[in-house]
Amino acid sequence: MKSIHRIPVVLLAALTLLTACERPPVESTQVGFRGMNMADIQNPRAEMGETGYPAALPPASSSGPKAGEVYQNVQVLGDLSVAEFTRLMTSITAWVSPEEGCNYCHNPANLASDDIYTKVVSRRMIQMNQHINSEWQDHVGANGVNCYTCHRGKNVPEYIWFSQGDSGDGNRHFMGWLNGQNQPGEDIGLTSMPQDVFTHYLTSTDAPTVRLASLQPGVDEPSPGTKNAEKTYALMVNWSQSLGVNCTYCHYTGSFQDWENSSPYRITAHYGLNMVRGLNAEYLIPLEGEYPDYRLGPHEGDAPKAYCATCHQGQKKPLGGADAISAYPSLAE
Amino acid sequence: MATYQNIFNRVQVHGEPDMGVPLPDGTIWERGKAKFSRLFGLFGEAQVGPGYLGTTGLLSLLFGIAAFEIIGFNMWASVGWDPVQFIRLLPWLALEPPSPEWGLRIPPLNEGGWFILTGLFLLISVLLWWVRMYRRAVALGMGTHVAWAFASAIWLFLVLGLFRPLLMGSWSEAVPYGIFPHLDWTTAFSLRYGNLMYNPFHMLSITFLYGSVLLFAMHGATIIASGNYGAHREIEQIVDRGTAAERGAIFWRWTMGFNATFESIHRWAWWFAVLTTLTGGIGILLTGTVVDNWYLWGLEHGLVPPYPEVYPAMADPAATP
Amino acid sequence: MSMLSFEEKYRVRGGTLIGGDLFDFWVGPFYVGFFGITSAFFALLGTVFIFYGIATGPTWNIWQINIAPPDLSYGLGFAPIDEGGLWQLITICAIGAFVSWALRQAEISRKLGMNYHVPIAFGFAILAYVSLVVIRPVLMGAWGHGFPYGIMSHLDWVSNTGYQYLHFHYNPAHIIAVTFFFTTVLALGLHGGAILSAVNPHQKGDTVKTAYHENSFFRDTIMYSIGSLGIHRLGLFLALNAGFWSAVCIIISGPFWTRGWPEWYDWWLSLPIWS
Repeated sequence: MKSIHRIPVVLLAALTLLTACERPPVESTQVGFRGMNMADIQNPRAEMGETGYPAALPPASSSGPKAGEVYQNVQVLGDLSVAEFTRLMTSITAWVSPEEGCNYCHNPANLASDDIYTKVVSRRMIQMNQHINSEWQDHVGANGVNCYTCHRGKNVPEYIWFSQGDSGDGNRHFMGWLNGQNQPGEDIGLTSMPQDVFTHYLTSTDAPTVRLASLQPGVDEPSPGTKNAEKTYALMVNWSQSLGVNCTYCHYTGSFQDWENSSPYRITAHYGLNMVRGLNAEYLIPLEGEYPDYRLGPHEGDAPKAYCATCHQGQKKPLGGADAISAYPSLAE
Repeated sequence: MATYQNIFNRVQVHGEPDMGVPLPDGTIWERGKAKFSRLFGLFGEAQVGPGYLGTTGLLSLLFGIAAFEIIGFNMWASVGWDPVQFIRLLPWLALEPPSPEWGLRIPPLNEGGWFILTGLFLLISVLLWWVRMYRRAVALGMGTHVAWAFASAIWLFLVLGLFRPLLMGSWSEAVPYGIFPHLDWTTAFSLRYGNLMYNPFHMLSITFLYGSVLLFAMHGATIIASGNYGAHREIEQIVDRGTAAERGAIFWRWTMGFNATFESIHRWAWWFAVLTTLTGGIGILLTGTVVDNWYLWGLEHGLVPPYPEVYPAMADPAATP
Repeated sequence: MSMLSFEEKYRVRGGTLIGGDLFDFWVGPFYVGFFGITSAFFALLGTVFIFYGIATGPTWNIWQINIAPPDLSYGLGFAPIDEGGLWQLITICAIGAFVSWALRQAEISRKLGMNYHVPIAFGFAILAYVSLVVIRPVLMGAWGHGFPYGIMSHLDWVSNTGYQYLHFHYNPAHIIAVTFFFTTVLALGLHGGAILSAVNPHQKGDTVKTAYHENSFFRDTIMYSIGSLGIHRLGLFLALNAGFWSAVCIIISGPFWTRGWPEWYDWWLSLPIWS
């Protein structure tokens, strides 16, 4: 029997497909009315984002001279006492450059100088932290953020994005137009939908409304056409992937646009969208001139930018909902 | 249960092939050759061929192959002519319709022009194939039911690729030629037009789709289960009812109080298959042209179930100052 | 009339699976049998439950009626009647009625000297239903994962369940199932058309055509005619696969995959053979 020899091949193929899957049981949490199957479904065996968060340093004394009076060129955090200032600098080093230490940003010969680009970027990032923690509590809540929320001990946060330019279409003059899609997109859950939706939706505070269908007939019409809907859909797949949730975590999918049956998480996400647009437009994109070339985007030489995954990294709440701000009130002013 | 269940043929005769009903006088083309396949013979007729090409068949195949090649070469070009990546990424690749800004104008080849050309070639191919199905039936003196069923499928194809893009005023509304990309299109289409499940013609189409599967399961099972009475000789049973047709009819009469006849079951079958694509095409054609949001349409027409509120009522945060 | 002209000679005793002569009788055109009794029992009881649910619910609008399963918090336990318990009772009745119906089909097959292809085929439909309301909910740990009984509410369930895996069309078993569904319709259209065109010739008054003509038609046009017996095997095969792969595609969604279905293809993209 020739077919006997095929059995190992078939078994091997079946095994490949099985290992590509997960196994029960799963954990599910209801989001909407019973029977609608709006639920958050997680497999505890599937990869989860990192939850570790380094313990905050013990509080420092707020008495004594202010950092702004003692040190030169202190443009932010000048109101802190020297002890508090040093404590925060030590923490930032642990959060962002644990291996390189102070010299990653500071010129050891003159700590006050702005010679190294990272010091300029860091200053702006501290201002961004303060902006997020004071202006965007609708999104970040009481947990707030600090440098570690995105950096996680790395110089550059792992989840950032750049413009993808023309996706290499420029080299294909006669055939093979991709239209920026039709390849497995890492950022959009391996679908073949448009990949560079972030430039479209996340770079400006007056970017197009993220809307799939009309809320009322004739009012608030979304951009016409199925192709535009693919862009919105791709963005939403990215959000789901960034938070490790599915569409029904926020939406009643009978009518995605309908707020009445949505879960309250959708409100939080709404503020998150506005926040990210603002951060990119006012903080991250303007830093483009400060970076050396190797920090810029490979296609268009643009500055690194943020999206949901930058903080969330696969979790519903960044750092598993750890309190990032109480121990560092100076980042919330 | 160890008895013969009529799933496979136990005996195969490979002899002089049946060269078919003689073609009408004056036919220019001739039939090809016939072969026998032991594998095919396990499930059905062992004889393969003879085929009849004909002028419409030849032209249809040429246009069809041209369309297929344009799609394939565009996909291959999109991975820089790398044969390995072509296989690896094949499910993601596509020949993409033009961008919305082109409207109904013809863009350059590499910005949707190839797509338009492919659509044209496919359309010619499919229509020629329809003519072929019609003419082959007539040449054998048979009715043209198969051709008209095929016409219903062509209707759906035309709605998706021609009629709806024309009404929407943009070729960009057409479906991309690609495996995953056409699935993306399908979901995005439903999302953009407010949930296709609230489209009543989509409901009808799905009903006929499932109904067709149900019908073929019932019909196929009935015929095989009474195969030992010669139930598969359906035409003989239609014109001269035998015990196979009687048992088949009575089985369903006893089961559900109603039965078709050996002819009428095929009318049910034909209509269910035809209505699947016919209603589906109507549903697609109305979407975006007449109805912009099917959920809101459903709301207006009393379709939407009143689910108890689980959370405090929310309003659009963008609409509140 | 409850009997066809030729029916009387087929109405003979015997061939029952259970109950002997006790239930071996007809009511109008319907054969009864033991499983006819149980079918009717479960069907009537279930219908009463459904109408109870409608009557105590907010609407009689046929589209909006919704009898929903329990909250997920009830897990695999019983819920109070008005909080999903009714759904559980209806589900029990439905399964009882469907299985009785299949067994009744088996009895009728025996009585008519036919093989069991019809009840086996119906078994695939039952499998698909049981997958949705028993197998998958059990694997996921709560009856609340079953679908609600209502026209629009079950569509909303389908929609929500699909988007729980972000893009359900990428589910490999769903791809296979849909392909079988569409192919079944194609084959059904071809078969129905072929038989009708043979017995309704192009020229009015022409002699009815034969299986030789059908074979000629498909050999001429597509090089192969599967034959009058083979088409029914093919049709049954395609239809049963449509149901079977539908069951597979929903069982793997959740218990064996919780992320977006497009992500599942990572194994293909990262096979070691590409480099």
